[in-house]
Amino acid sequence: MELFFMTLVTGIMVGGIYALVALGWVLIYKCSGVLNLAMGELTLIGAYVTLAFYTAGVPFVLAIVGTLMVGVVLGILTERIFLDKLIGEPLLAVIMVTVGLSFFFKGMVTFIWDTDTRVFTPPIFAIRPIELGFLKVSPVYLWSFILAIVLLLVFVCFFKYTRWGLSMQATADDETAALSLGVSARFVYAAAWAIAFMSAGVGGALLGNINGINISIGYLGLLVLPAVVLGGLNSVPGAIVGGIIIGLLQNLSGTYLDQFFPGGVKEIVPFAFMAVFLLFKPYGLWGWERIERV
Amino acid sequence: MSTVWLPCGDYHQDYAEDQGWWQARFIKFKMILLLAVVFIGIPQFLPEYYVSVGTMVGYTAMGALGVQLLIGFTGLITLGHAAFIAVGAYTSTLLVLQFPWPGFIVDWGLAYPISILVAAIAAGLWSVLFGLPSAKVKGFYLILTTMAAQFITVDFILTQYVSQIGGRGQAFSLPPGVIKIGPWAIDTDLKIYYLMAVLLTLMIIVLANLLRSKPGRAWVAIRDNDIAAEALGINIVRYKLLAFFVAGFFAGLAGAFWVSNTAALSPEHFPWFWSLWLVGVILIGGVGSIHGAIFGALFMVLVMEGLQWAVIPMSEYFPRMLMAFASIKDAAFGLAICAFLIYEPNGLAYRWWQAKNYFNLWPFSY
Repeated sequence: MELFFMTLVTGIMVGGIYALVALGWVLIYKCSGVLNLAMGELTLIGAYVTLAFYTAGVPFVLAIVGTLMVGVVLGILTERIFLDKLIGEPLLAVIMVTVGLSFFFKGMVTFIWDTDTRVFTPPIFAIRPIELGFLKVSPVYLWSFILAIVLLLVFVCFFKYTRWGLSMQATADDETAALSLGVSARFVYAAAWAIAFMSAGVGGALLGNINGINISIGYLGLLVLPAVVLGGLNSVPGAIVGGIIIGLLQNLSGTYLDQFFPGGVKEIVPFAFMAVFLLFKPYGLWGWERIERV
Repeated sequence: MSTVWLPCGDYHQDYAEDQGWWQARFIKFKMILLLAVVFIGIPQFLPEYYVSVGTMVGYTAMGALGVQLLIGFTGLITLGHAAFIAVGAYTSTLLVLQFPWPGFIVDWGLAYPISILVAAIAAGLWSVLFGLPSAKVKGFYLILTTMAAQFITVDFILTQYVSQIGGRGQAFSLPPGVIKIGPWAIDTDLKIYYLMAVLLTLMIIVLANLLRSKPGRAWVAIRDNDIAAEALGINIVRYKLLAFFVAGFFAGLAGAFWVSNTAALSPEHFPWFWSLWLVGVILIGGVGSIHGAIFGALFMVLVMEGLQWAVIPMSEYFPRMLMAFASIKDAAFGLAICAFLIYEPNGLAYRWWQAKNYFNLWPFSY
């Protein structure tokens, strides 16, 4: 029973990080309709940039802030150079540009930082687990979860209450109407990409604290795809719930299914679950159903 | 891509003529010349290195043809095609190595040809299994299910279970002389090249014929507007699954062929990267034409080889460049896809079509 609760708590905490990355994905989709397959590489970049700041002697919190800033710059650049020219192109073209971007980013990251696993030295979080009642939680998970939730709240508040956030929401809702009210669509697209880079970057830095940083962080970033499908592609609460569900699913299957299917069942379950889930509820939990006409 | 303009003075009078293989004597001559170059010119007159590059082009084109059928002709975007190639490769290897063949079949060298056929069918059926969701979902959701196919097949089933069969650990090794067709053991680059050329030619003929008959017209109708296609009485589920089967069949052939080219088979030959690579190949070559798959394969393989030749002299000054060549290749591939999609979205096949029309209509361009 204790094992079950431990798994549950760890799952929710890792899920918090996935939720953060998934939020960035959904923002891009809502605002500009781009289905971004490069999310894994965005987390990879974030992880390595934070590591670079940290090894240069910057304290961890400031390193995260630095990652956020680099994320803004990279996000705006990416949008301006690549995605800006593809507005209104067919699905395949847009998706494959993000795939091309993911190759480009991955190539650059492995060229600059090599493929060996690196860890944050000295370690940022204590190794000894914190005891919460009868549960033992490793501080890495706890602090990552807290940081992820704080950032989630910041992004949601930004989206709900600030002028820029409201203009993004308006564009997501009805682009033509937003344009006629004086919202700059190009600004909104750039902002969406900047936020995606920021959220994915911090998510990557947190994931890198858990297992060390190597190319497989990119795979973890790819797990946002099942998360957003679960929640519905254009629902922000859906992304958060979906991220947490994927974290739970991954950890529960790692604990309980691994003995029946030894090997990498943990990595496969989210995708397998998603494939089955799509058959029954193709629009996710809260996604908009699209009715097609000829 | 529509049909090519005919030279002045040539007219088609009925549909059969319009769809014919040899629309003019010039085309017949050109195709025979092409076949002569592929079957005699390249293998007999070029050094062995170029022959093995040619084999690589052919293997890429084989995989890309299946992707072209799914994406370019049926409109079903797939990002998991390497999984089906892997299924073909593993089925063929397992059959050759583990199946208790009667002695005379091995002696006559039939084991490998039979395994190619079985592998292709197995890969086709496996592909249909993952194509089933296409009955209900499309677009981005279908992309995700094909991605699931990749991860479930290669990273889980093949790596964890199939690789353990026979207790060989992670990789199957193929002893020389096992891959044998009739009296010929496929053991030199030249023989591998010929096997590739024969298979690729057959695949192109089959695909071209399918495309100019009923299934092909149904596929194109589904691609252009699936709801309208259904209203016209096309059973879209059946034709989508048929597309998945044929694409998987081609992938199985490609995989079973790849076995002959490699001494050891491991799941690392079929990463997700390879699925994306194949999609990139058809994007660069041109979506929606058989030429596109071939041009794309040529372009990608030759450019990557050229990149290697460019990096080797530069590595004298920057020794890291050679070590990190895989990263440079990734980055170059990514940039190439982005550049083609932004600046040349119709691909190389479109340029070919334009050039052909220009010369057909010359000197009067109307």
